[in-house]
Amino acid sequence: MDASTIVCKCEEINIAEIELAIKSGANTFDDIKRLTRCGMGPCQAKICTNLVRQIISESLEVPLSEIRPPRLRMPLKPTRISALVGNEVSSSVISVFSESAPQEDDENHG
Amino acid sequence: MAKQYDVVVIGSGVVGSSIAFHLSEGGQKEILVIDKDYPLSGTSGSTQAWVWVHNKTPSWYGELSMLSAELYPFLERKIGDVEYKRTGGIAPFFNESDRESALRLAEKQAEVGIEIDVLTRDQVLEKEPALSPNIAGATFSKIDGNVNPFRLVELYIRAAKKNRVQFSFYNPVIDIKRDKGIFEITTKKEVFRAKQLVLAAGPWTKGVGKLLGVDIPVKQVRGQILVTEPLAPLIKHTIGGMRQADNGEVLIGYSKEEVGYDRRTTLDVIQDTAKMAVEYLPDLAKANIVRCFAGVRVIPNDGQPILGEIPTIDNAYVAVMHSGITLSPLVGTVMTELLIQGETSIDCDKLRLDRFSEFKSYV
Repeated sequence: MDASTIVCKCEEINIAEIELAIKSGANTFDDIKRLTRCGMGPCQAKICTNLVRQIISESLEVPLSEIRPPRLRMPLKPTRISALVGNEVSSSVISVFSESAPQEDDENHG
Repeated sequence: MAKQYDVVVIGSGVVGSSIAFHLSEGGQKEILVIDKDYPLSGTSGSTQAWVWVHNKTPSWYGELSMLSAELYPFLERKIGDVEYKRTGGIAPFFNESDRESALRLAEKQAEVGIEIDVLTRDQVLEKEPALSPNIAGATFSKIDGNVNPFRLVELYIRAAKKNRVQFSFYNPVIDIKRDKGIFEITTKKEVFRAKQLVLAAGPWTKGVGKLLGVDIPVKQVRGQILVTEPLAPLIKHTIGGMRQADNGEVLIGYSKEEVGYDRRTTLDVIQDTAKMAVEYLPDLAKANIVRCFAGVRVIPNDGQPILGEIPTIDNAYVAVMHSGITLSPLVGTVMTELLIQGETSIDCDKLRLDRFSEFKSYV
């Protein structure tokens, strides 16, 4: 792989940039992330986690199993603020009772 | 034999790095900065990074913040582009009854030269059309702004390294002893000696102080922040509660919880923050959140910065404050004066550690 190969698609960060961060002393995914923005985009490191862990492992000559993944945070995928507020007008959650109970003007029910 | 330095700074966040950089400008001192992790792994890397002045009270604290904000353009000339933007700051209020206290704030801050306008609803909406029409008004000042905290700390360190400052990362301090006036600092990796010692470990200063035999009266406070996907330009100003970064993402949050060093994010605060976002900017309801994060902040017990000598220990200093981003240019400057000349160009008496009645020293 070429040093210009992109590892973080969301923020367009390549191998050379990750290696430079490691060279300036960063040893963990999260520390590299804050220097490069790698893993800060919409996918939140879902794609680049293991690619970056591999680069750390190879650069520092530490087994891959010892390289910690980034800290995971809510939400798991992009979520609308209105959904977090919880007051969206059109809710598809309905009452079982009201779905089946006959309405007063519902003459054809049954 | 342990390597000896003129100055050892413990903590490589925005405060410690700024002190190291400003000290290194004179070129006279051999300086080492020690950090238990890596720069930006603590408080300085989990902030919205407002450079916020106008409603810092009492007014002498506002004045310090203003002096520091004034230093930012000059700092950028020295260390490079840290994306400092003097956007102007807006702190909205929702009840007309708050206008009176807003006017009182403006009057108080004017005494130290901080210019605050108390805006009507229409004036607020003229400045920021996306803000909610439910807002009654706001305090506004041109002096407020924000900065990219990642760039800021990275460039402080890069400039310090250029001036031959040494750094030791992923290296917690385990013990501090004094031997004939020289500090002996035992870390996980090695032992260092120092003539002068600066504690600048943010929320972790408490633990480092204990190693030295002093109780630094600070508490830990968690703040949680929401990050949106990159959005088209929505807000131009730094708004008390949120700001939009250069890449379009909006950072939202202003919460304070005393939960020690726990930096988890919690759904209740996330939801409250989302509510605040929509109350301020109704359009944000349609925006996606990509991440939430939390940082452990430090707040001295009386809210004001602690800066200067540790009264009971010769050549030991402390620099710990809540608003490290805002104050870092000034703190680096003043601490350099103190360490080199023994006095500061501005009066820092109010910031002394021994102002606390609960200040305890066991040495």
